[in-house]
Amino acid sequence: MILTGNEITNQVRNGNIVISPFSEDRVNPNSYNFTLADKLDVYEEGEIDVRKQKPTRRIHIGPEGYVLTPGRLYLASTVEVLGSDSFVPTYAARSSVARLGMFINLSAPLGDIGFIGCWTLQLLAMNSIRLYAGMPIGQMMFWQVKGNIDLYDGKYQGARGPLSSRIYQDFDQKKTALAPPEHKVLGDAAVAGPAE
Amino acid sequence: MILTGTEIDRRVHTGDVVIEPYDTTQLEPNSYGFHLGERIAVYDTPIVDVREPLKLREFTIGPEGFVFQPKQFYLGHTVERIGGITCASELYANLSTALCGVFIQTSAPLGHTGAVIRWTLEITVVHPVRLYAGMRIGKICFWETLGKNTSYSGRYNGSDSVVVSRIIEDGENA
Repeated sequence: MILTGNEITNQVRNGNIVISPFSEDRVNPNSYNFTLADKLDVYEEGEIDVRKQKPTRRIHIGPEGYVLTPGRLYLASTVEVLGSDSFVPTYAARSSVARLGMFINLSAPLGDIGFIGCWTLQLLAMNSIRLYAGMPIGQMMFWQVKGNIDLYDGKYQGARGPLSSRIYQDFDQKKTALAPPEHKVLGDAAVAGPAE
Repeated sequence: MILTGTEIDRRVHTGDVVIEPYDTTQLEPNSYGFHLGERIAVYDTPIVDVREPLKLREFTIGPEGFVFQPKQFYLGHTVERIGGITCASELYANLSTALCGVFIQTSAPLGHTGAVIRWTLEITVVHPVRLYAGMRIGKICFWETLGKNTSYSGRYNGSDSVVVSRIIEDGENA
């Protein structure tokens, strides 16, 4: 079940949902509006290799706002710290933001129970869009679960400000656990190849 | 919990779910198939500024359909007026649409409890795709809520066709 706005407010008051800072006028019938922080990160030009950390460049959104270039990926952050040890969060763009021609996540709306932090948004604009820091940009929903809860303990826990992808850490871990598959294939081929 | 197709049908009859026009052949195991309306709008301004009025160009999809182009953002709408009185909803592309490389919303699937409207769709394509008015384009699913409901009373209440972003109403908060 999805929590109603009233229930989100109740659960913030009794500590089962964290939304900080919290303002009742940002509560919707089924969600809470979060706002855009003043920092954006963009990846440096060139390919992204998922096995390597890709450098990013920091952009500060001033009082005059900042115009997003269409087709470019910007990593942004929520002002608020949001999360819950009891309910599963998912988030969406506010309808008014989506209608401008903008994604705030790229098919990744599902959060983990136990993640509490600032959320990194993936801004992708179809038009040149001028945004302002502090504007309500998206909405967080919370869902009741069924089953035992194992809390999130992943690589983005406690995030503050936008975080670039740490996918390369997945490969670092696997290096110690198992050999990369293509090396294994090459090795086998070499063994089966030219005989002495 | 998500409503099954049978439960959606039951609630349409009790009035708890509104779908107009309603056709039982569009019921899916846990959603209802909705259709693309004929009105399309595009922004006609070099920079979309959330604090400035938005200039638009609107047109109607003819019987020959319309070829949507990549890198262009379109607003469309559902034929149906849809919403949940006590449940929330989410709108998604159906698989057949997505398989053609079409997005029908830009990371905003949620329909609030009490919002019973013709939904504005945010349409983008990854390569040229010809779409036709009246075609089935997406599916809406319904979720039961936990807690005391308040009915949607936002700025898109009463939407009957394409409605562009009214974010300017946020004023300096935008």
